[in-house]
Amino acid sequence: MGGPISSKYYLISKKDLQRLLDSLSKKMPLFAPVKHGKDFNFKRLESGDKLDIAGYTNTEYPPRGMFLPEGEAVLEYNKGKFSENFFKGKAAVFGIRPCDVHALLVLDRVMLGHDHFESHYKRRRENTLVFPLVCGTPGENCFCDSMLTRNLVESFDLLFTDIGHHYHVEPGSKAGLEIIAANKGLFQESVHKAAIVEVPCKKKLDTANLPGILAKARASGVWDEVAKQCVSCASCTFSCPTCYCFSLVHDSGIADPEHVKVIRELDYCMLLRYSRVAGGLVFREPRKERVQQFFYHKLAYGPENEGRFHCVGCGRCITECMAHIDITDVIGRIRDEHDKRK
Amino acid sequence: MSMINGNEESYRPALAAVTSVLQENARIRTLGITFRLDAERKSFSFNPGQFVMITLPGIGEAPFSMCSSPKEKGHFELSIRNLGNVTDGMFRLRKGDVVGVRGPYGHGYPVQEMKGRDIVLVAGGIGFPPLASVVEHVIANRADYGKVWVLYGVKDYDDVIYRQRMKRWSKAKDLEVRMALETPCSKWKGCVGVVTKLFNKLKIDAGNTVGLSCGPPIMLKFVTLGFEKLGIRDGDIFISLERLMQCGIGKCGHCNIGNKYVCTDGPVFRYTDIKNMAEEVW
Ligand SMILES: Cc1cc2nc3c(=O)[nH]c(=O)nc-3n(C[C@H](O)[C@H](O)[C@H](O)COP(=O)(O)OP(=O)(O)OC[C@H]3O[C@@H](n4cnc5c(N)ncnc54)[C@H](O)[C@@H]3O)c2cc1C
Ligand code: SF4
Ligand code: SF4
Ligand code: FES
Repeated sequence: MGGPISSKYYLISKKDLQRLLDSLSKKMPLFAPVKHGKDFNFKRLESGDKLDIAGYTNTEYPPRGMFLPEGEAVLEYNKGKFSENFFKGKAAVFGIRPCDVHALLVLDRVMLGHDHFESHYKRRRENTLVFPLVCGTPGENCFCDSMLTRNLVESFDLLFTDIGHHYHVEPGSKAGLEIIAANKGLFQESVHKAAIVEVPCKKKLDTANLPGILAKARASGVWDEVAKQCVSCASCTFSCPTCYCFSLVHDSGIADPEHVKVIRELDYCMLLRYSRVAGGLVFREPRKERVQQFFYHKLAYGPENEGRFHCVGCGRCITECMAHIDITDVIGRIRDEHDKRK
Repeated sequence: MSMINGNEESYRPALAAVTSVLQENARIRTLGITFRLDAERKSFSFNPGQFVMITLPGIGEAPFSMCSSPKEKGHFELSIRNLGNVTDGMFRLRKGDVVGVRGPYGHGYPVQEMKGRDIVLVAGGIGFPPLASVVEHVIANRADYGKVWVLYGVKDYDDVIYRQRMKRWSKAKDLEVRMALETPCSKWKGCVGVVTKLFNKLKIDAGNTVGLSCGPPIMLKFVTLGFEKLGIRDGDIFISLERLMQCGIGKCGHCNIGNKYVCTDGPVFRYTDIKNMAEEVW
């Protein structure tokens, strides 16, 4: 996946998009937003399932699960032999929002960067087609404008924009062009870039010199206030598209110790167990330190280690927090304090 | 250094057999471990201070630092303190039993950079293994290093490990082993108190000395202050840290301190690299 690959754009009618999705879902697992109750979440579309995204803003939970599936067996032990069984074949996701593709770019830098890569993430990421859907109207808690994650110039196969009765389609990869070529009858060419009205986000997070400000704000009383509100439920980490921390758990093979699966389970820095070592010592015991870990990882360590904020402004942690902690508000207060001190 | 299975398979361990079991004290045992396959015996090598992940199928996986000489190819020793699931499983291993091993991982003590320098090593409790590997390395390459002090702090007389080794080391040229017991004991005539008490009688050429340490967080804090007091430069102080580890390869997040990862940036850190970190190290 790379940058612009074709100077041509395409249009596809809504009816023909359904045809395209039907045909793709016969060839590979295809995921798309599906409404359940009041929320959308990514579900597998079987052939014949109708795409119904009326009223879709973004999914309740992030698309991470298609790349780092919760409970994936990353290692198996069978009668004296270890093996890693990798995801084989292809998969596709339609309707992922640009901010969440930016989150994948963060995950790429963590999982595929530095000294090692995570072998399972690598296979899934390389073999999953990404068909994002551009956002016109952001949700109540979104602040992608601030995080510069509203637009996408890379890391998609086909970029879809809803322009009324048609979707505008921009190819972003060879694989994307091949899908268009294989389904010629469904697409018509267009010379125009997609033009939609972008409603600005209501929430804002000023990122100017943020890692520097945070570096000096470790002792700020704001963290005590946030820690007093927080109940360590870990919903923020669970719902964040760039949170990836995990533990490796042996499926204990009680029934048969000769067949064991090692399961990768998500884990959350908001919980005490996250930093508890043998002997019982917990390195991040005070809640304040766990709260700080969340904010600092997103907004200070991320830029330091991966050259990117680990927050893409999706607003999910704001929506999910039962204690009404709002990252834009917290950072706003930290910045105010900093500006006053100057 | 060469890593078993490299990058293509993040979690697949190589098979290795237990070749020896030595009871060090009531709660610590040293296991000798040798890879089963020839190719792995040839390719596995490590630096003192690095660690491996040991897998016991159905029980779990945990990180351990090699305590043996890096000179022995394809074979290494681990000293294990029985504390929980995996370590208890390792206590039940007998000669010939098979475990999974992946690694070596992380950055060890800078044995290249240390050449020509005097060395003060300070070990506390189960922090001894990686430093024991340094001592073995120094003895195997004696001409490359200056004077060496091994300072070992331990709670009770019965907790003392590496008795045989320390005897052997004491015979090496320009190498002194000194021990401090926290609890007085009729069998012990030496220093009683915390390990930093041993610093009082140390006569070192601070400008040419590197200080290495590994042990419980509170000990590391005071040893580091002690090193500074002795006049050792912050850039010449190397500390091995412990955190919970799940992956060992910088992905699971568990071992982070500030923006650093103990598994890949450490476990051995130069003090100047962690001194001003956002998060408390100790
Ligand atoms: C780089 C590195 C090198 C190391 N080298 C060595 C070495 O050379 N030798 C050595 O002996 N150790 C070493 N360790 C430590 C060793 O890895 C741990 O002792 C080991 O992981 C313990 O695993 P376990 O499964 O036996 O314990 P666990 O079963 O995971 O935990 C044991 C104990 O920890 C506490 N605990 C853990 N989780 C919980 C929980 N959820 N709730 C309550 N209590 C909990 C309890 O007291 C429990 O009994 C090293 C660690 C690191 C990071
Ligand atoms: S920190 Fe909150 S707003 Fe930012 S990406 Fe994560 S869930 Fe979305
Ligand atoms: S969702 Fe809110 S209450 Fe729950 S851990 Fe996160 S900040 Fe704390
Ligand atoms: S042990 Fe997983 S990141 Fe260090």
